[in-house]
Amino acid sequence: MAALNEKKTCSQRMENFNRFVWNPDTGQLMGRTLINWVWISLYYVAFYIVMTGLFSLAIYSLMRTINPYTPDYQDRLKSPGVTLRPDVYGEGGLEIYYNVSDKKSWEKYVTTLHKFLSAYNTTVQHANINCTSEKYFFQKSFLGPNKTKYSCKFTSDMLENCSGLENSTFGFPEGKPCLIIKMNRIINFLPGNGTAPRVSCTAQHDDFSPLELQYYPVNGTFNLHYFPYYGKKAQPTYSNPLVAVKFLNITRNAEVTVVCRVIGTGITSDNPHDPYEGKVEFKMKIQD
Amino acid sequence: MGKKRSDIYSVEIHGTQDLEKTDKEDEEEKYKNLKGNKKKSKKTDDLKKELDLDDHKLSKEELEEKYTTSISKGLTSARAAEILARDGPNALTPPKSTPEIIKFLKQMVGGFSILLWVGALLCWIAFGIQIAQGVASAFDNLYLGVVLALVVILTGIFAYYQEAKSTNIMASFSKMIPQQALVIRDGEKKEVPAEQLVVGDMVEIKGGDRIPADIRLIFAQGCKVDNSSLTGESEPQSRSCDFTHENPLETKNIAFYSTTCLEGTATGMVISTGDHTIIGRIASLASGVGNEKTPIAIEIEHFVHIVAGVAVSIGVLFFIIAVSMKYKVLDSIIFLIGIIVANVPEGLLATVTVSLSLTAKRMAKKNCLVKNLEAVETLGSTSIICSDKTGTLTQNRMTVAHLWFDDQIYSADTSEEQTTQSFDQSSQSWAALSKIVTLCNRAEFKPGQENVPIMKRVVVGDASETALLKFAEVILGDVMGIRKRNRKLAEIPFNSTNKFQLSIHETEDPNDKRFLLVMKGAPERILERCSTIMINGEEQPLDRERAEAFQTAYMELGGLGERVLGFCHLYLPEDEFPDTYPFDTDSMNFPTSNLCFVGLLSMIDPPRSTVPDAVSKCRSAGIKVIMVTGDHPITAKAIAKSVGIISATSETVEDIAKRLNIPVEQVNKQDARAAVINGMELKDMTTEQLDEILINHSEIVFARTSPQQKLIIVEGCQRQDAVVAVTGDGVNDSPALKKADIGIAMGIAGSDAAKNAADMILLDDNFASIVTGVEEGRLIFDNLKKTIAYTLTKNIAELCPFLIYIIASIPLPIGTITILFIDLGTDIIPSVALAYEKAESDIMNRRPRHKKKDRLVNEQLAVYSYLQIGILQSVGAFLAYFTVYAEQGWLPNTLLGLRVNWEDDYYNDIEDSYGQEWTRYQRTYLQWSGYTAFFVSITIQQVADLIIRKTRRNSLFQQGLLRNKVIWLGIFSQIAIALILCYGLGSVTALNFTPLRVQYWFVAMPYAILIWVYDEIRKLFIRQYPGSWWDKNMYY
Repeated sequence: MAALNEKKTCSQRMENFNRFVWNPDTGQLMGRTLINWVWISLYYVAFYIVMTGLFSLAIYSLMRTINPYTPDYQDRLKSPGVTLRPDVYGEGGLEIYYNVSDKKSWEKYVTTLHKFLSAYNTTVQHANINCTSEKYFFQKSFLGPNKTKYSCKFTSDMLENCSGLENSTFGFPEGKPCLIIKMNRIINFLPGNGTAPRVSCTAQHDDFSPLELQYYPVNGTFNLHYFPYYGKKAQPTYSNPLVAVKFLNITRNAEVTVVCRVIGTGITSDNPHDPYEGKVEFKMKIQD
Repeated sequence: MGKKRSDIYSVEIHGTQDLEKTDKEDEEEKYKNLKGNKKKSKKTDDLKKELDLDDHKLSKEELEEKYTTSISKGLTSARAAEILARDGPNALTPPKSTPEIIKFLKQMVGGFSILLWVGALLCWIAFGIQIAQGVASAFDNLYLGVVLALVVILTGIFAYYQEAKSTNIMASFSKMIPQQALVIRDGEKKEVPAEQLVVGDMVEIKGGDRIPADIRLIFAQGCKVDNSSLTGESEPQSRSCDFTHENPLETKNIAFYSTTCLEGTATGMVISTGDHTIIGRIASLASGVGNEKTPIAIEIEHFVHIVAGVAVSIGVLFFIIAVSMKYKVLDSIIFLIGIIVANVPEGLLATVTVSLSLTAKRMAKKNCLVKNLEAVETLGSTSIICSDKTGTLTQNRMTVAHLWFDDQIYSADTSEEQTTQSFDQSSQSWAALSKIVTLCNRAEFKPGQENVPIMKRVVVGDASETALLKFAEVILGDVMGIRKRNRKLAEIPFNSTNKFQLSIHETEDPNDKRFLLVMKGAPERILERCSTIMINGEEQPLDRERAEAFQTAYMELGGLGERVLGFCHLYLPEDEFPDTYPFDTDSMNFPTSNLCFVGLLSMIDPPRSTVPDAVSKCRSAGIKVIMVTGDHPITAKAIAKSVGIISATSETVEDIAKRLNIPVEQVNKQDARAAVINGMELKDMTTEQLDEILINHSEIVFARTSPQQKLIIVEGCQRQDAVVAVTGDGVNDSPALKKADIGIAMGIAGSDAAKNAADMILLDDNFASIVTGVEEGRLIFDNLKKTIAYTLTKNIAELCPFLIYIIASIPLPIGTITILFIDLGTDIIPSVALAYEKAESDIMNRRPRHKKKDRLVNEQLAVYSYLQIGILQSVGAFLAYFTVYAEQGWLPNTLLGLRVNWEDDYYNDIEDSYGQEWTRYQRTYLQWSGYTAFFVSITIQQVADLIIRKTRRNSLFQQGLLRNKVIWLGIFSQIAIALILCYGLGSVTALNFTPLRVQYWFVAMPYAILIWVYDEIRKLFIRQYPGSWWDKNMYY
């Protein structure tokens, strides 16, 4: 509709522009006199102050209506995500690639695991209570210190061989690495409907011999007494229960794709859009 | 067209011929491309350049030799075919047209398209880089690029289609019947399409035909042509085979292509065809006159510059900010794309086009056919109208205006729809006068029009006789019957030497055996032949006193610019002229002197009844109406006075001189508001003198002007920075029509060349239609302001998310695709709906906008939309965004600075404010909910924005909420589209919409109400304190 060519010369344009910036005839700076600029600025300052005030007021009242313990809606978190430690990503996602004889190649995994498990050592966990019940740990009232709810202890030694305590290299140099599966926290989520959810790992393509695995804690279950989670404010010291998986017979020098699912009622792992919902997929390749 | 034609008056017969013109092919091409010619204007004097034509001087034999033809037998068919092959068909070649593909491509790169192309290109570059880096979400950029390209292409196609459609209107308008010509070939008369005429062909022409080519007449009988389409002269001109003038344009033995033969017959030889004809040369000259950009095109360009400037500078600024905040360059490029998309109102240009075409449609209903959509608005900013007199201001038909008999002047009704005449008809003198009027008249109604109103019947005869015939028919009824009862025995038709017309009749009274001799003609000539005068039915001697009374009346009527005719009669004594008396008109064996003078009738082409009102409307609208006519100054002035172009109290310099009895030179020119300028004076004027006249006088009439001078006048007006509308119908008007900011051609009387050159066509040739057009044009300008203000507002609400996203690193509040859904989805119908808004106040009571000062998008509009309402909207939308996130577990403080982790595909256990852990997809889905909430909030607030934009000054309550029903349609469409996107298409992943909880629709509602209240307060202060600081800064 409108072409972009105009017949003004460049110098004319510059002149016009200079005149716009400062017009000595009318004392106008950018089309306004100085006093006019002051007025208009004052108006906008006032306008934006009122705007900010209104917005702050709105946010304030929003915060007032919000429950500090549980969010109003959890419909985006119907089923928990599942993650893997060590979480090292390569081009194709999670990748555990190393050479047994090359210390450098597996050292980072070990470090990551140590770091991760440091949140589970006894000193950190000492504030939490020991739970023995095999049922959901419902707490209606705030009986814990500082008006909180109790959290159950989960210490790294529960992972036995994979705790990093006896074998500080998590079996990596032996070619029998320990990997840790973690399930995301969701407030008031009750997995498994009374039976403890468990981790089950399978190789995606069973070209090789079926995986020989050792789960810690036994059976690879998440004990029910860690659920439900009551939120950061109610359970400030809560830590996710973990399941460690020790891979005993990984074929050397071959890439194995492993899927670890958390199996239990209410945990879905078939969302086509979300690869981390209820399961975690990773590749392993152990070289000599 | 059939319906139209029945409305055409007798004298306009020739006018209709133009509608039936022949060149059917590529008519549309012609219309489309007149605008495109960029050749700089040649001197208009070229029009008057001597024509190297000497055929009029040659004898018949020389002609036969020159064109190797035979006058009696014509060309042979074979020879004709040969020449046809050599010279091409006898038709005007349409001006060179821009190929369709170029026009289409122009639409693709015009306006914002470039910006969007850049956006698309950046998208693809980003895609290329990301795909090389193996980023999983790379394809998003590919799709976005494709979508942007699609947007450009679709809006381009739409604009192209709109343009094509408006040219199609033209094509249908000029649907034409191929013209036939009667040609002598191989010694036989044949009908051939006029297109196949070649030089040397002998053609026969009769009354009513259009001349098919330039023709040297070989034989002519009573042939008259109407050259008005060529020279602007409206008087019929006789044609003969004599060489009468050196100048081929003046000589009588040449008839020109596209002029009309009014009466008589003629045979002539074709001397030039197609583009070689005089008309052809003028037409090609007209296309050489440069065309100015329309005001609205300039305005839109200005607006595009503003928006593009804002987009590019914010884009670059934030690109730099992003880079210096250590964002990756690639990310910064993606931000840049977002900023561009958010800033560009993708749908706006299409909306503007639709609004303009809606107005064009509305104007077409009011008889203004707009060829060029942009001309719709040009008419609204018009500050000077240079109007033709004949046919535009006047009815284009002679009508009896005054009568003088019994020593008294009577006025007759000159309105278009007269059915009776109310002056005193009891006098015997009137009876005598009416008899002369009836009998001494050769004009006749064409048969078969009994049911047609008298004033609309088609008459065969010249203009004055037609006027008299209709006048008599209105008063007496059945003129043809009266003539039959008073059988005509002899007749001398009018000729320029006698200056009278005479006929002798039997009387219808069977007892009266006398013959009646009736005569009419130039009053002074008639008076010479009279010795008595009829007063109250009595013959009285014509003494000096009576003669003086006659003179006074004659002068008075002449002073009114009217054409006066005198009437006299004589009852021939029975004894001298018995029953069988052989009247012989050659020897004039009957008395032609000592007749009895009966009265005077004066005729004028009266103003159209709607014109005075229209002129006064123009005046109150601050539009100067200048009359430009080829007529005599006295007639011109009289009409100008009667329609109000010269108001009752204004005087010209000459009037003042006359009143004060001083020489013209001594009059202070500043005192005279009116001026009547003769074409001869104009010729000798310098540019400065013309400018002075245009500045000093507010009421100007140019009389006796040639169509060429029109161009000079138009240029003069344009030097005053005026937006000039020019009306015209002749071929020679076309340069002026092209030069004018808006050329208006007459639909009925206009020639094709004029219609070609014009931007607009008045279907009813009525000046009043221009005024309604002006009103529509002004309204659309106001409404476009509203549309643009409405559209620009939400751009800020779309832009802010990106800026905050970059600065505060929050999850992206609204996606690029979502923005496109606002710009091209929910916002389209509402912004078009604003085009239906009624005017806030009487738009015809304010001055036309100043071309350079009153911009479509001014600072106030941009600032108020961008920095006030736009910001308000953003705040409302952000509130919805924060609400959605907070209620899902992400409190505002957690969101700040979250962006990098949030967007990390490998981070699948990010903690929210409550300690819950989210995978990437869960977050993305929430992000889409945020998009949807943001989108819905903008939509809700745009409803408020739409409502406030209904008015710029008046309160909503003054304007009324229900008057514009289309606005409601707009609101409903907006909400319906939002509902469909949100709930209907919420499951389509690619669209990034999610079904939203119902309450989130209401989060921004308080802000919507706030927008409305704030705007009402703004308008209240503007109304309360006009001219104040507030008014100056807040009124757009």
